Amino acid sequence: MKYLLYFLVFMSLSVTAQDKYITKTGVVQFEASVPSFEEVAAKNNAVTGIINADNGEFAALAMVKAFRFKNALMEEHFNENYAESYLYPKATFKGTIDGFSLKTEKTTYKITGELNFHGVSKTISNIDITSVHKNDTIVIEGTFKVLASDFNIKIPKIVSNKIAEEIVVNFSFELVKQ
Amino acid sequence: MRKWIILIALLVLGIFAYNYIYQEHRNIQDETPEFVVTAVELSKEFSNDPKASERKYLNKTIVINGIITEQNENDLILNPNIFCQFEQKITTNDTVVQIKGRVIGYDDLLEEIKLDQCNILPN
Repeated sequence: MKYLLYFLVFMSLSVTAQDKYITKTGVVQFEASVPSFEEVAAKNNAVTGIINADNGEFAALAMVKAFRFKNALMEEHFNENYAESYLYPKATFKGTIDGFSLKTEKTTYKITGELNFHGVSKTISNIDITSVHKNDTIVIEGTFKVLASDFNIKIPKIVSNKIAEEIVVNFSFELVKQ
Repeated sequence: MRKWIILIALLVLGIFAYNYIYQEHRNIQDETPEFVVTAVELSKEFSNDPKASERKYLNKTIVINGIITEQNENDLILNPNIFCQFEQKITTNDTVVQIKGRVIGYDDLLEEIKLDQCNILPN
């Protein structure tokens, strides 16, 4: 009887223990290039990502200052005029991966959640992601598109033919079990 | 003669414009640090008031004295919660170090202070 009790306590503990997978070096890239003009693209490879493997909740946090452009002036303009990173230093995403499970090794899911950038929150729905689960790591990758205007970012007329209104965002997270 | 002056003026203007548009990136390692702190002090400052500290340090070049508690290929943690990202592979075997880098913000998911473009300063 005592052992059964221990067993039950142990079982309940292992059920409530959250299975968290974390990375501090996730990669998020975006591109708003227009063909035949200089590329408008940046990469951030210090993005934090957390998956709660029990319920498929996913959270990511990127420091806006950590988006690096090839062109230093473009980086400066991005920070000062577009993203206003001194006011809004963080970009965050909070969402849920639909039907997430660790049973399958390689699969695709859909994720829905709220993206916050430049002080504006927007729900982005049903983004396709691929997930590869091996031993203690999960690799999640995907792409989605957003509009600059959705995040209250105005592209001045004078450069509007050089910057695309539609921004393609790529992400890749290699999360390790904690 | 006048033609030549106009031509040279245009050329000079062109060079200035080019240097402005294609200016070089900040070189954190060449900058003089705005703050020199210990890892524990910095951490305390951020835990007391994350927002104000973030505003104070954001995008600034700083030098931190601290103890490495976790070391990976391109990043390390200074005791207790300062995440430093390097652009090159970390080769040090020391645990007590002085690091120069740029503060990019406070990660409130993991409660860590984040720096990029870091380098370990020679003793």
